[in-house]
Amino acid sequence: MNISVKILGLCCLIGMMSVPISTQAQNDNNYRSYSEITSSMKALNNAHKNVTDLKSVAKTSSGKDIWVLTIGSGDVKNHPGIAVIGGAKGSHILGSELTLKFAEQLLATANTEETKALLASTTFYVFPQVNPDASAQYFADLKYERDGNATSTDADRDGFTDEDGFEDLNGDGFITMMRVENKTGNWTVHKDDARVMVKSDIAGGNKGAYMLLTEGRDNDKDGDFNEDGEGGVNINQNFTFDFPYFKPGSSENPASENETRGVLDFLFEEARNTFAVISFGPENNLSTPLKYNRGAASKRVVSGWLSDDIDVNKMVSDIYNETISLGKAPSGDPQQGDLLQWAYYHYGRYSFSTPGWWTPEVNDEDGKAKKFDNDHAKYLGWADSENQNSFVNWTEVDHPDFPNSKVEVGGLKPFALTTPPYSMVSDLAQSHTDFILKIAEMKPSVELANFKVESAGKNLTRITVDVYNGGSFPTASELGQRNNWVRRVITQIKLGNNMNLVSGDVQSFERSIPADGWVTKTWLIQGSGKVTVRAGSPMTGFSTKEQTIK
Amino acid sequence: MKNIRYTLLTAFVFGLMFTSNPAKAQLTDGVFPAAGTPSNPKVEATWNHYYNYKGISELTERIAKAYPDLAKRTSIGKSYEGKDIWMLTVSNFKNGDPDRKPAIYIDGNIHSNEIQGTEMAMYTAWYLTESFGDVKFITELLNDKTFYIVPTINPDAREHYMTEPNTGSSPRSGLKPIDDDGDGLIDEDQPDDLDGNGSITQMRRKNPRGRFRAHPTYPNMMVRVPDDEFGDYDYLGSEGIDNDNDGRINEDRVGYYDPNRDWGWNWQPNHIQGGAHKYPFSLPETRAVMDFVMERPNIAAAQSYHNSGGMILRGPGVAEDISTYNRQDVQVYDAIGEMGERLIPGYRYFVVYDDLYDVFGGELDWFYGVRGVFTYSNELWTSYEMFQSNDRAATDSYEFNKYLLFGDAMQEWTEYDHPQYGKIEIGGFKKNFGRAHPGFLLEQGAHRNMAFTIYHAYHTPKLEIDEISEKNLGGGLREVTAVITNSRLMPTHASIDVNNNIMPPDIISIEGATVEAGMVVTNRDLNQTTEQKNRPNRIELANIPGMSSVTVRWIISGGSNYTVKVDSQKGGVISKRK
Repeated sequence: MNISVKILGLCCLIGMMSVPISTQAQNDNNYRSYSEITSSMKALNNAHKNVTDLKSVAKTSSGKDIWVLTIGSGDVKNHPGIAVIGGAKGSHILGSELTLKFAEQLLATANTEETKALLASTTFYVFPQVNPDASAQYFADLKYERDGNATSTDADRDGFTDEDGFEDLNGDGFITMMRVENKTGNWTVHKDDARVMVKSDIAGGNKGAYMLLTEGRDNDKDGDFNEDGEGGVNINQNFTFDFPYFKPGSSENPASENETRGVLDFLFEEARNTFAVISFGPENNLSTPLKYNRGAASKRVVSGWLSDDIDVNKMVSDIYNETISLGKAPSGDPQQGDLLQWAYYHYGRYSFSTPGWWTPEVNDEDGKAKKFDNDHAKYLGWADSENQNSFVNWTEVDHPDFPNSKVEVGGLKPFALTTPPYSMVSDLAQSHTDFILKIAEMKPSVELANFKVESAGKNLTRITVDVYNGGSFPTASELGQRNNWVRRVITQIKLGNNMNLVSGDVQSFERSIPADGWVTKTWLIQGSGKVTVRAGSPMTGFSTKEQTIK
Repeated sequence: MKNIRYTLLTAFVFGLMFTSNPAKAQLTDGVFPAAGTPSNPKVEATWNHYYNYKGISELTERIAKAYPDLAKRTSIGKSYEGKDIWMLTVSNFKNGDPDRKPAIYIDGNIHSNEIQGTEMAMYTAWYLTESFGDVKFITELLNDKTFYIVPTINPDAREHYMTEPNTGSSPRSGLKPIDDDGDGLIDEDQPDDLDGNGSITQMRRKNPRGRFRAHPTYPNMMVRVPDDEFGDYDYLGSEGIDNDNDGRINEDRVGYYDPNRDWGWNWQPNHIQGGAHKYPFSLPETRAVMDFVMERPNIAAAQSYHNSGGMILRGPGVAEDISTYNRQDVQVYDAIGEMGERLIPGYRYFVVYDDLYDVFGGELDWFYGVRGVFTYSNELWTSYEMFQSNDRAATDSYEFNKYLLFGDAMQEWTEYDHPQYGKIEIGGFKKNFGRAHPGFLLEQGAHRNMAFTIYHAYHTPKLEIDEISEKNLGGGLREVTAVITNSRLMPTHASIDVNNNIMPPDIISIEGATVEAGMVVTNRDLNQTTEQKNRPNRIELANIPGMSSVTVRWIISGGSNYTVKVDSQKGGVISKRK
């Protein structure tokens, strides 16, 4: 960053290259696009080569790379790992920025002893933007909340692909909504904020006077508006747990997309040491932890978190809320085919997700939080108090599909609800970085404790050791204990030549060792020479003891 | 070969003053045709042995070269080790685009040790090409339909099964190396062919306190003694030693995953479904099949070959999917499956989850669930076939081996000095017996199973335009009514397809007329119709059910020489001029 500022200054002095200057100036004030994320990732990797490794795990159908930056030192594949993932839901722009800033803030301290020690025992896998083709719409001339990648799909399953997208009828560069005056419509204006449209309430005497549609034309004249636009598959709907077949945005098959498979293959094959996946997206089990559902957890196809894992979620949620205070969150229930659920149910790891930001509380004159019955009304209340220009006022347009009706275009600007003003991002990123680093400190960690060597008779030696988990996480989640992709803790003993293992296992496995828990191992050895005991798993790190028996 | 014979024959026929028909060429070669078998094939092939990868590559290539208008060989992808996965497309290429005809997809050998599906599949390609032109039914079948035939979708491990020591039940997996036991080493403790006969057989050890003894009539057979008696032997499991000295024998074999748990319908991870790999289609072989099938919406039927047990299986694989298979579709499945029981004596038509065991993420559920394709898996070979009797005994295999195979399937017990177990004996059935057909029954099995798939393929939709009629409405308007019939069992859209719009609708269009309005006629006698407002010249139908007719109608204001065209993904493309 310093270098670019210097270059910028130089350019200004020379008085040339005005275009790069304005772009550069924007970079500090705005969310970063795919190309800016790419250069930031490369810059990080160049600046911290000794502790980073930048890799592209896949290319999208338009040729963009899905980047992952591995951060750690030493035997990085055998230190407990945390995957930090942003932008699986492409319209979640904040997630990409928080993920990238996590890497930047962590590496900014790379030369401190504290961070050096952390990186020598912990590995971070940072994926800043998993669906770049969708996220690009935020930076395009025409902005709308796009979650589909660049794969052409037949979202409405009528035999045609991408045949009915949006049109910017009022020419403002945003796709918002249209309301059409119509007797049969069942939308009406909100009683307290006339900008907001709400469903009619027949019992309350309001039958509704508008149809509410997305901005555009019914290009294929099938009665649905903008139901099959450009692209694509929502990567956050393409993971394998509870895959939503035949739904718009799902693709025909689970894990069909390069983006999805790139992430999956990397996490399964390269990053087997990952013990927790932390993702940014609409799902939220951090400010509010998941609740135990015995029925769902007991089913053959497990669809509720198991009880021990619910306890861990609660522990982590408490830490999140101690670190980050954003007020009451809107509903962030897990969604079919999402990353959050895949990482738990199919990858067997602890999985956490947060939107990273939501509409803050708005206080009235007495300093009390105002009450709202509608998310948009609450958002507008906050935006008004912050002088945010995030609403397009309803204005009449001529609409060829409704030649005899009054049609108005307006509504919340796209991305407003999930994407705070960039000035807020720095603090949000710092607190989320702090949270992730707290989780890292709690990592499962296998040590060989109470190592004892004693004579057990003539030419016989007994070795006893506790395989101890010094972390705050179990060495595997309760569900992960069932899954072969989650490595068990292995304990092995090696003896020198002419030594004989009289009793005890050459190698043994533990499905999981609880936080602060241990398993005692004992061996009876005949003869003299070197004994090596090694215990651990890629998710906990390995610990070794050596002893020479005379 | 045929050409040479033909030349000789021609000379001969001319010599006999045209008294003989050239189609009976083989008479001069010393054979007389048996009914139902190509008696003078252009492609020499024998069906009493198994083809290895080289044999498959050569035979598929020879069929394609001999019949360029009927068979084309392509590779649908590469296996993990880089072998081409060969496919034969069989159809009359001179009668329509094979990719637009209703099609059946056939594969074999997904489980590498279940070898004979490959021969069933290749026999089908061979039989169809050799019979085209000679057998009227087959000629019409290849005019109407396409067969996509992939003899093996697990070529790596098929080769491993044949060339490396295995049991009749291994490897089953593909060959991607996996650390099964999680010790950081990969495939480090495989079974060992201690006696060097190419098969992994069994190990036993003499022990006066043992739980087993030799069968009095068939001493190769080990029998468990009654609970209150001691026997003469310990049974020690499959041939092998503890290669990695970890206190366990044969615990990290080649592979291991199950390619038939790698499909993307109700896929579940390995803690729910053993054998599952990373995610659906995470193996290159299944992915190649999926990619191919996704691009062929004309595939209406599918068949995969497994062994063993004599079963014709349909989904669902698990009770959770019972509601996926609804009544109309089950009727079609039943009609074809029950015919299969008749055609292949000893085979039973079963539902996987109900009659066999649970399978999440299996091939047949994916074909049906994601593509709406009617699909069966046949478990080839059943002990019924040994004595053609349902009155079966545990000694049948030993008796069959003694009196029909003359002992060829058996490795006699022989002594061996085992590093962990000491003095033991090794013996038992070789890998090519128990699951694979014995040679002399293989051709029969291939023909009968092929006949079942031909019945299945025959009943993919066949659309015909029965009627185009016109009525003058006056005022310059005419009413055109077209009746389209599906004359086979299978609908153009399975009910799972109709419910989820998997395939686009069937399109009935009129070309060469000025269309004012279009509609589906729901009851012609009572003139009940449903108008289609958008694009009335191309009427969309969600389905044309099996053995049924649909009626559509246009109101036209111009055109007299028009054509009605039917375009159905699974029913093909047909047209008829007024």
